Amino acid sequence: MGAPEATHRFHVGDRVQVKHTNPAGNPRTPAYIRGKSGIVSSLHGRIDNPLDHHGVYPPLCSVLFPVGEVFGGASRDTLSVDLHEDWLAPAGP
Amino acid sequence: MAHDTQAAHGHMQDHEGHVLGVKADLEYWRTERLEPRVLQLHRRGVLTLYDLLRAAAHLPSPPIGANEAAHDIEGRIRALEDGLDDYIRGIGLASIDPSEQPSVIEDTRKERGDYDDFFRIAKPHHDGTLEERIARLERDLREYQRLLQVLMHALLEKGVLTAQQLERQRAFLAGRGAWNGARIVARAWVDPAFKQALLARGREAVRELNIPPGRLGKLGVAENTATLHNVVVCTLCSCYPHDLLGDPPWWYRDDGFKEGVVRDPRGTLAHRFDLRLPESVEVRVHDSTSDVRWMVLPRRPAGTDGWSEEELARLVTIDALVGTAEALLPAALARNER
Repeated sequence: MGAPEATHRFHVGDRVQVKHTNPAGNPRTPAYIRGKSGIVSSLHGRIDNPLDHHGVYPPLCSVLFPVGEVFGGASRDTLSVDLHEDWLAPAGP
Repeated sequence: MAHDTQAAHGHMQDHEGHVLGVKADLEYWRTERLEPRVLQLHRRGVLTLYDLLRAAAHLPSPPIGANEAAHDIEGRIRALEDGLDDYIRGIGLASIDPSEQPSVIEDTRKERGDYDDFFRIAKPHHDGTLEERIARLERDLREYQRLLQVLMHALLEKGVLTAQQLERQRAFLAGRGAWNGARIVARAWVDPAFKQALLARGREAVRELNIPPGRLGKLGVAENTATLHNVVVCTLCSCYPHDLLGDPPWWYRDDGFKEGVVRDPRGTLAHRFDLRLPESVEVRVHDSTSDVRWMVLPRRPAGTDGWSEEELARLVTIDALVGTAEALLPAALARNER
């Protein structure tokens, strides 16, 4: 367990971009969010979850995306998507 | 290569984490739930240690670890987790208050040392290899279950509880999936310290309510405020904190719901669920992986000052836990129950 922050590469408030593909990583990243940029909103650390996957995945972040930027339109509502760090790259400010 | 090493290492960590989790939960339930209850019953003369001895004499001891050797480490850990769940459910059954007066919780808090460290029941310290610690846990769990079994038998034998009460409680515990969520929300509404704990470490916090931890990685709790309304979805599969909250509504698995709520959260809430939110409220959709499973903490409705937790919990519907509805208003509750 421990403090999740210690295991993370990113911090709350970082702007990140979701990779388009990630052959080394797990498949749990929704297609609609790939290539999009968002802001890290919380850190969950590495999570043991042996019922669903055998190994331990990289640390998990919640990343916030405006609906309007993902699907177009004027919506100011947001999507908070949980993503493992191997799917994320730093994005410009 | 680096990836392989990490995965192998992670796998070991996995076992460690689970064994630590079982140990922590098991000792919590023993020292803060079951044994304070036993002591309390004895002190009051409701059910004494001698009643327990008498009941034990009538009960054959269970066979000792017949199939433990047959399992690999993972199988043994899983068996421990299942045994822990049974133990926790059993404590829930044994904790019916025969007088039907809600005083027990306060009493056992005193008894278990919440207010005075002097009364704390010591926990064993386990060290050694993983396998040695698993073996200790297997033995401990067997002994703890034995005490629970004897207690249950003695409660019935002495007529402290009737078989009928027990059956009612069993049915109640089995069917209360969504009710668990409602109780969590109601406690968070009345107890700010619990709410803080829930938001920070949800899986651990719900133990306070006699809710088994279940097999989930992490419980995420998204709190609604005057300016934020949360909705939960799992577009990749249908992850939901089943173990804690029971089954989600049927449409939670429906692709139409998933697609709609992600593309147009506000419109989907309005058209599909008749939940119209003002422009000043941001709608936030939580798309989960299976690692963090989310529930919504709805806002406490107006007009509920002074309500008990039990009354408040009845305002929390399964839809409110997913975020496609707000908690019921007192007037709606009155309508539903007429």
